[in-house]
Amino acid sequence: MSDEKWTVTFIVFRKKDEQPVRYDTFTLEVSPNEYVLDAVERIWAFHDRSLVFAHACHHSTCGACGMRVNGVERLTCITPIREVTRNGGTVRVEPLRNFPVVSDLAVDMSRLYQAMDVVHAQAVHPLDAAPLEGDGIRPPRQVPQPEEEGEFLRLADCIECGLCVSACPVAGTDPAYLGPAALAGAQLQSIARNPDLLSVVDCAEGVWRCHSAYECTAVCPSNVQPGWRIMDLRRQVVAQRIKALLGQR
Amino acid sequence: MNEPKKLHSRGVLDWFDPRGRQVGGWGFIINRISAIGLTIYLYLHLVMLGKLAQGPEAFDAFIATAKQPLILFGELLVIIAGLYHGLNGIRIALTSFGVAVRYQRALLIAVVLLTAAGSLFFAIRMLSIH
Amino acid sequence: MTKPHAIVIGAGFTGVAIAYDLAQRGFRVSVVERGPIANGTSGRTHGLLHSGARYAVNDQESAIECIQENIILRRIVPDAIEPNGGLFVAVQEEDLAYRDKFIEGCAACGIPIRELTPQEALRLEPNLNPRLLTAFTVPDATFDPLRLALAFAASAKAGGAQFYLYTDVVDLLRDGRGNVCGVKAWNRAADRRFDLLAEVVVNATGAWVGQITAMAGIQVPIAPTPGVMVAYDRRLTQRAINLLNEPGDGDIVLPQRRMMVVGTTSFTIEDPDYVPVYEDHVALMMERGSALIPALRQTRERGAYMATRPLIGGTAPGRSISRTFKAYDHAETDGIDGLVTITGGKATTLRLMAEKTVDVICRKFGMDVPCRTAETPLLSYRKFYL
Repeated sequence: MSDEKWTVTFIVFRKKDEQPVRYDTFTLEVSPNEYVLDAVERIWAFHDRSLVFAHACHHSTCGACGMRVNGVERLTCITPIREVTRNGGTVRVEPLRNFPVVSDLAVDMSRLYQAMDVVHAQAVHPLDAAPLEGDGIRPPRQVPQPEEEGEFLRLADCIECGLCVSACPVAGTDPAYLGPAALAGAQLQSIARNPDLLSVVDCAEGVWRCHSAYECTAVCPSNVQPGWRIMDLRRQVVAQRIKALLGQR
Repeated sequence: MNEPKKLHSRGVLDWFDPRGRQVGGWGFIINRISAIGLTIYLYLHLVMLGKLAQGPEAFDAFIATAKQPLILFGELLVIIAGLYHGLNGIRIALTSFGVAVRYQRALLIAVVLLTAAGSLFFAIRMLSIH
Repeated sequence: MTKPHAIVIGAGFTGVAIAYDLAQRGFRVSVVERGPIANGTSGRTHGLLHSGARYAVNDQESAIECIQENIILRRIVPDAIEPNGGLFVAVQEEDLAYRDKFIEGCAACGIPIRELTPQEALRLEPNLNPRLLTAFTVPDATFDPLRLALAFAASAKAGGAQFYLYTDVVDLLRDGRGNVCGVKAWNRAADRRFDLLAEVVVNATGAWVGQITAMAGIQVPIAPTPGVMVAYDRRLTQRAINLLNEPGDGDIVLPQRRMMVVGTTSFTIEDPDYVPVYEDHVALMMERGSALIPALRQTRERGAYMATRPLIGGTAPGRSISRTFKAYDHAETDGIDGLVTITGGKATTLRLMAEKTVDVICRKFGMDVPCRTAETPLLSYRKFYL
């Protein structure tokens, strides 16, 4: 089984500077167990050194290699070729949507990082904020403070790969929308504990821009469940507003 | 690399492109289409009401033409769009309060089934009356 | 007085740390990198912030560097590090023979360890092999490779460093006397070629240093040494798990987000541009990893990848080469001025490698500026994009 070889044609989105977009075709011998990113890297190494693509960790912890594979947002380092095509088939590789293209398959994700920065999304957070076991989407009602030894901290689930922003149908028509990843980052911190977040997310560019397509949750490679978190954040926003209203009386 | 660049997006067209979309995305697309359809219908409806101001003859003549099969089919589409959009609105309102978010797929399927059942009911009624 | 201009080739761990240090010590810095940040070996590390215990018996120089830098990095880049701690676990009788040497080595290197009974260890990490014989806690941690590099890059950028990403160095520029005075670059994103002049060029290309020095006709002793790592789909421990024995294949099992990563193997190659992931290595990782964490057998593979360590070359095979590093001023070693090369090292010691390299560069320019990178926390990695 390990010697199985497939012939697969990769159709790759190409763009340099202001030149028009074109698609290049590369036919490769691959093992179906290899990952799409391996094939993209091989195209660069052996076929076309001008290919531009982003990648770093090759095991889904950094979020650099998000691309659209056959029209669907995928983290290419963990997408086996077997899952997206067949022997003799094709794989279409394009950059993520809703970001500016730097060149070829690489996009400029400043928009996402900006939004994550605005909501102060945490890169490392207490274990209890998102439990490892189960589905990990329970809201953080009581977030414990980090222990002295620090053994109860862990890297956040969100790897800031941008797949959710690319898959979101409204992110393309509203460049100022904070986007699913940032709203999920806000939800994890809980508005009750961070009242400053309320005005950041309770606006047209925040939690109310979402139109419930749930594409973010469908493409998220990292268990963040942004769709669920946006809805929970709405609940938190409404609860806070009602509380404020009653408190003023 | 620092100047603002155009997003790699087809804008509104991406709302309606079903390729690569999951169940929730399909729900979104149909919701948008039904919304646009209902908005167009609203204007048609206002034109129709305008006929009332032109006197009973104009209105009766209009109603007579409105009994054509094509128009009846259009009315059925309005019923389908109205049912779907309304029921999906309830689904979104529920999930927006954090209720049953994890069952949004099941809710969407229920919305579609209810829409289909309701449409069938009205279609039979329309056919039996005329 | 105008600042001297330094070009750093490579935006991996050493490159970005050198760029940050140079910018802090009064250089105008340009970083030329053929991919995005950390797209070579650096991005593909295991992600273990070493406590040094792994090297405490055979390579105490590296071990001491590791524990010191481990403490510094926790302080200066808290948002790229998961301070989850680590365990060294003995599962076979022969591992126990290593126990005394291990205790002695860690004491000599100043690495704080604590021995646990098997019951205590299993209480902390229930997924450990229940037949374990003894265990030690060590101050290991997990880091996020991209964000560690980005934090240094963001801070370098704030200090004025300019980054030329997706830009290949196609040749070194030489002056009339054969000294290096800049680079010929090719920006692949815009498909534009340009020359960049500088007072000094720093070759921080890791496993690729040989390719750059060859452009100046210089040979450096470098042994590109790849190893495979495999990620599994479930997080089975909170701490990094190491086998208590001499460093070997597949003896580190590391939790990362919701994954376990097992590594690694070790062999040498000529060209590090593309190294395939060999399936027998992947199978070996499962075999070795499950000796420490039996539940790995029930988890699905999530990813498999290969990274090429830039070990200082020589005749010795992979594991016996020291994991320390060396900075060369080619004016001293080869009579060619304007080029400095850094080889060897490991992710945990990136800041120290930069400090020593920039010390060498400052000496060349007669500058007496102390290194301050260990004192100030870095900017958030997100600032690189803002």
